Amino acid sequence: MTQEKKFYLTKEGLEKIKKEYKDLKNLKLSKTKGEIPKIWHSEDLNPEYLAFQEDLSFLELRITELEHIFKNSELIEPPPKEKKNAVNLGARVLVDVNGQTDEFEIVGTLEANPSIGRISNESPVGRALLGHRAGDEIVVSSPIKTIYRIKKIRYLS
Amino acid sequence: MKNILNFLIEVGKLKKIPRKGWVLRGIKNPETIAAHTFRLAFMAWLLGKQMKLNVNKILKMCLIHDICEVYAGDTTPYHPLLPKSQKEWKKTTQKWPRFSKKEKEKFFHEKYGKENKALKKLIFKLPPVIKKEIKNLWSDYEKGLTSEGRFVRQVDRVENLLQALEYWQKEKKFAIEPWWIQIEELVDRPLLIEFLEVLEKKFHRK
Repeated sequence: MTQEKKFYLTKEGLEKIKKEYKDLKNLKLSKTKGEIPKIWHSEDLNPEYLAFQEDLSFLELRITELEHIFKNSELIEPPPKEKKNAVNLGARVLVDVNGQTDEFEIVGTLEANPSIGRISNESPVGRALLGHRAGDEIVVSSPIKTIYRIKKIRYLS
Repeated sequence: MKNILNFLIEVGKLKKIPRKGWVLRGIKNPETIAAHTFRLAFMAWLLGKQMKLNVNKILKMCLIHDICEVYAGDTTPYHPLLPKSQKEWKKTTQKWPRFSKKEKEKFFHEKYGKENKALKKLIFKLPPVIKKEIKNLWSDYEKGLTSEGRFVRQVDRVENLLQALEYWQKEKKFAIEPWWIQIEELVDRPLLIEFLEVLEKKFHRK
């Protein structure tokens, strides 16, 4: 039997998904009862949910996907004190890349979005940074040689 | 029917709008937004099928992923750094742009807001079911809500890399480094990483 893929999530990411799951379950329940879901009157309604208003199949697909994520999720926790000097999931890493400074947060694939500085632990750069410490130089060279020099590592809690 | 026709006329404009990234680099007669969408759809179909993803959803997502650019324009990652003088543009694109986390978040939300507004305007008069489907697919693509959304977001960049490599191979007029740097920080699906190795062999190891 093949091992199910693990989904690493930050606390914030897990809470977001939990809220979405709860909302969508309520939405489905209301729809199957033929009621107008209360959630649509809510002021903090996620506008994306409106897209599910008329298409139940989208709603069901998303609920199934969220259940699969829950079943295989693992919370990203800050490492013990003695391991905080190395890059792990959840780390904020200040790097010098070919003379330019950048800051990455290492997250799981579900929360990765380099446009806002969140790098997947499964991307070539994310993978290469894991386990390294401040002062280390990592070379990613496929096919262009890029040097990432780790300047600082921190964890939020 | 009139509203569907009007929508088609508007998205048809993408057949004539050149991609900004090539304009910045001074590429003559660069590909249009519609041309990029065309090959992205093929790439996502062929690779998505191998990953057992929902190809129907993927193809629709590819079709709509850039339609907001009819009104919002094509915003590149270099946008916040662009000098007024067009002569300086090429120089700005020599290096992959780096920003602080706060700046990245600010630019991301500004772009999202601008494009969301443009999309709403574009699909406003479409039948409600289609309008909602397009909005849903676009949000999925932009935010990577599902496996298909995250996949298309990555394939979009890989298609862009392929086009860059084709222009680069022809004239070597610009630096190819920024594309590879962006890709290595973004792509994380094993099949796409395997595809990148094929691209590398084809264009770099001859």
